[in-house]
Amino acid sequence: MTFARMKKGGLIAAAIATLLAGPAFAKVTVLGWPGGPEEAALRAAADTYNAKPDVSDDNKVELLFFNRDGFWDKLQADLAAGSTAFDVNLLATYSIGRYAPFMEPVELSGEAKVVYGDQVLTTMQYEGKQFGVPTDLSLHFMYYRKDLIDALLNDDGAKAKYAEIAEKHLGKKLEPKNPDEWTWDDYAATALYFTQAVNPDSPTRYGTVLQLKNLLFNMMVFQSLPRAYGGNWMDEAGKVTVDSEAYRKGLETYKMLYDAGATPRDSLSYEFAEANAAYASGQVAAMMQWNAAASELMSKDKSPTVGEVTEAIAPPAGPEGRFTHIHGLGFGLNKNAANKEGAKAFISWLSSKEAALVYARNSGAPALTPEVVKDVAAERPDLVKLGEFAGKYGYVMNGGTSAKALSVYELQAKEFTGYWSGQQSLDDALKNTEKGMAELLK
Amino acid sequence: MTTKTHRSPASEFRLLTMPLVVFLLVFLGFPAIVNLVYSVSSVSFETLRSPEITGFSNFVAVWNDGAFWQASWFSFRFGLLTALLECGLGLFLAIFLAPLIERRSWLMAILMLPLMVAPALVGLMYRLVLHEFAGPVPYYLWTWFGASLSFLGPGSAFWTLVTVETLQWTPFAFLLFYMAYQAIPREIIEASAMDGARYRHRLWYIELPLMAPTIVVALLIRFIDGFRVFDNVYVLTGSGPGGSTASLSIYIYEAFFKQGAIGKAVAASVVLFIASFVVLYGLNTIAARRKGAAR
Repeated sequence: MTFARMKKGGLIAAAIATLLAGPAFAKVTVLGWPGGPEEAALRAAADTYNAKPDVSDDNKVELLFFNRDGFWDKLQADLAAGSTAFDVNLLATYSIGRYAPFMEPVELSGEAKVVYGDQVLTTMQYEGKQFGVPTDLSLHFMYYRKDLIDALLNDDGAKAKYAEIAEKHLGKKLEPKNPDEWTWDDYAATALYFTQAVNPDSPTRYGTVLQLKNLLFNMMVFQSLPRAYGGNWMDEAGKVTVDSEAYRKGLETYKMLYDAGATPRDSLSYEFAEANAAYASGQVAAMMQWNAAASELMSKDKSPTVGEVTEAIAPPAGPEGRFTHIHGLGFGLNKNAANKEGAKAFISWLSSKEAALVYARNSGAPALTPEVVKDVAAERPDLVKLGEFAGKYGYVMNGGTSAKALSVYELQAKEFTGYWSGQQSLDDALKNTEKGMAELLK
Repeated sequence: MTTKTHRSPASEFRLLTMPLVVFLLVFLGFPAIVNLVYSVSSVSFETLRSPEITGFSNFVAVWNDGAFWQASWFSFRFGLLTALLECGLGLFLAIFLAPLIERRSWLMAILMLPLMVAPALVGLMYRLVLHEFAGPVPYYLWTWFGASLSFLGPGSAFWTLVTVETLQWTPFAFLLFYMAYQAIPREIIEASAMDGARYRHRLWYIELPLMAPTIVVALLIRFIDGFRVFDNVYVLTGSGPGGSTASLSIYIYEAFFKQGAIGKAVAASVVLFIASFVVLYGLNTIAARRKGAAR
C-alpha cells in the first residue's frame, strides 16, 4: 500500500468517525423508560422542547431507550462505568441512592414547587438534594365494588351479620360504613364479610385479594397499612424501627385475612397481574392496587364484570391518618454527561408548567397540584385524583430513597412472606427484618 | 522447487489445540479468574474495577447464610426428584410406546413438542393455566367440584414446580431411552424368546442392563439440569414465600442483582463450581474404574 493510499484511507476514516461522533456530543441524549405511556409522553415533551426557538441545534434532545428487562441493573452498570452515552437518565424513587454517586443534583425551574408541590418533589430527593424531575408518579388506590357496598349499607340483616363476623374475627363489633370513612379494621371486616369461607351467603368468593408474592413491589403495597399506625423504617436518629406495634398490626391483619380465606390461597404467588385478574373476575369485593390498574379495572370494555361498578379511593385510615405509598419515575443528570449544560437546560424546562402539561396530555402520569391539574382535568380526570392523593396522603419512608432501599424491600418481602405462609413466627420475621435493615441502612 | 517442512507430532498437537486453548482462556479462564478475585473481595457495582481484597469473608457469609442452605436443599431435592420422575416416565414410555412409534413415527414429533418451548415460557404458560380466575384447570375444578387446589400455595408449590419440570423434560429422557432401546440387537431378544424367557425376565435381565449406561447418563444430565433450575421456577413463584422455592441459581441471581452483594453471590457460585467439580470428578473416576474392570 502506498503512503498516498494510506493517507486517503486515514482521512476517510477520520471523516466517518467525525460524522458518527459529532452528533452524539452536540445533542442532549435522554435515556427513557421504554414502551408504554412514559415513552409516548417523553417523546411529546422532547418534540415540544426541540421546537422551541431558543433551543439551539447543539442542545436539541435525542431519545434513547433500553429494554425494560433488567433496565435498572444495566443503568447501574453503565453509570458505574462512567458512560457518556446519555446525558440525562431515568431514575426511580427507590433507586436514587444507588445512582446518586454517579449523578449530579439538579436545579429545577422556579415553577417546580407550584407544579408538583413539596410532597411529590421529595420522591426525587436524596440526602436533602434534588436529583430529578418527578415526571410519573405511582401510588395506591383502594378499588372496591360500589354495588356490593351499597347493598350491604342498605340491608339490616347484612349489617347484623357483618357485626357478628367483625366481633368473631377482630374482637369488636363494627358497623358497615362508607368506604371513604374506613379504617383498616373496617377494610378487614368487609373483606371477611364478602368471603364465602366466612360468610356462605357472600356474593363474592373472596372479600379481597392480597398480593403476597415474595416480590419487592408487593411490599410497597403493604406499607401503607403499618404507616397508618405510625410505622416507619427508621426514626429521625437513623435507628431502624420496623420491630414495632405498627408493623405487627399490619402483618397480623394480612395473616388473619389469608388464614381466614379472605384472599385466594394462591395469593402467595400473586402480583399485579394476578390480583387484577382476580378482581376483574367479579369474585372480589375490594383490594389495594396501583393507580396504573385504574384504566383496566374501571373500564367496562376491559373489565366487563366490574368496570362500571368499581370506585377508586385512597387506602383506609389508621390512628395516624390515611396514607398511600408514592414513588416516582423522573429524570436526572449523569455526572459524566457530555453535554452537561444542554442537559441542565432540558431538566429545568422539564420541571416547568408547560412541560408538565405536555407530558400529562400525552399519556404521562405526573402528580400535579390542584392549580395546575385543572388545565388538563377534562382530558385526564384520573390525574386529578392522582395529584390530590399524592399531596394529601403520599409518603416516602425514612430511608426509602437510600442506596439500599430496593434491598430493604427485598428483605421485607422474604421475611414477611415467610410469616404469612407460616414458615416463621411474627417475632422472628420482625427480628430478622430489623437486623437485616440495620445492616443495609447503616 | 518446493521444500516440505516436517513438524514433530508435539508441535502439531500444540498447533491444533491452540484455538481450543485460546477459546478456553478467553471465554472460561478470564471470567473464572475474575470470579475468584471477586469472591475474596469487597466489591459493589461502583467498585467493579477496583475490588478490595478482604479474604474469605464472603465464603464465611455464604456458609453462615441459612438462605444458602435452604436453596441448596431445594436444588438437591428438586434435581433428584425431577431426574427420577423424568427418567422413570421416559423409560416407561420408551419401552411401551416403542411398538406404536415404529408404526407411527409422526407420534415422535408430538411427544417432542414440550422440548421446543423455552422454560421461561413454560413457566408463564402454567402461571396462566393454574390461575384461579383465568386458568382452565381451576375453572373446571370449581365447576365440577366446587373447589380448586391451591397449586402455588406454600404446601403445594414445590410439587407443582416438580410436575411442570417433569412434563417439559420427560420427552428428553424418553428420546434417549427410545434410541437406546432401538439399539438393542434384535437377535439377542429373539434368542431369549426362543429360550423361553418371559417378557419381564427379558426386560429385567437383558433390556435394562443393556440400557443401563444410557439410564445413568440421562439421570446425570437431568439431575444437573434440575439442580441448576432457574427460568420456569423464577417465572412461576419467584423465590417463593420466605425463599421456599429459591434454587441455588435464584439465590445467586438475587444476591448479585437484587441485594447488590456481588462478593457473596460470586462466592456462592465458586462453592457451587467446586461442589460440581468434585461430584463430576468422582463420577468420572468411578466410570473409569468400571471401564478398567470390564477390560
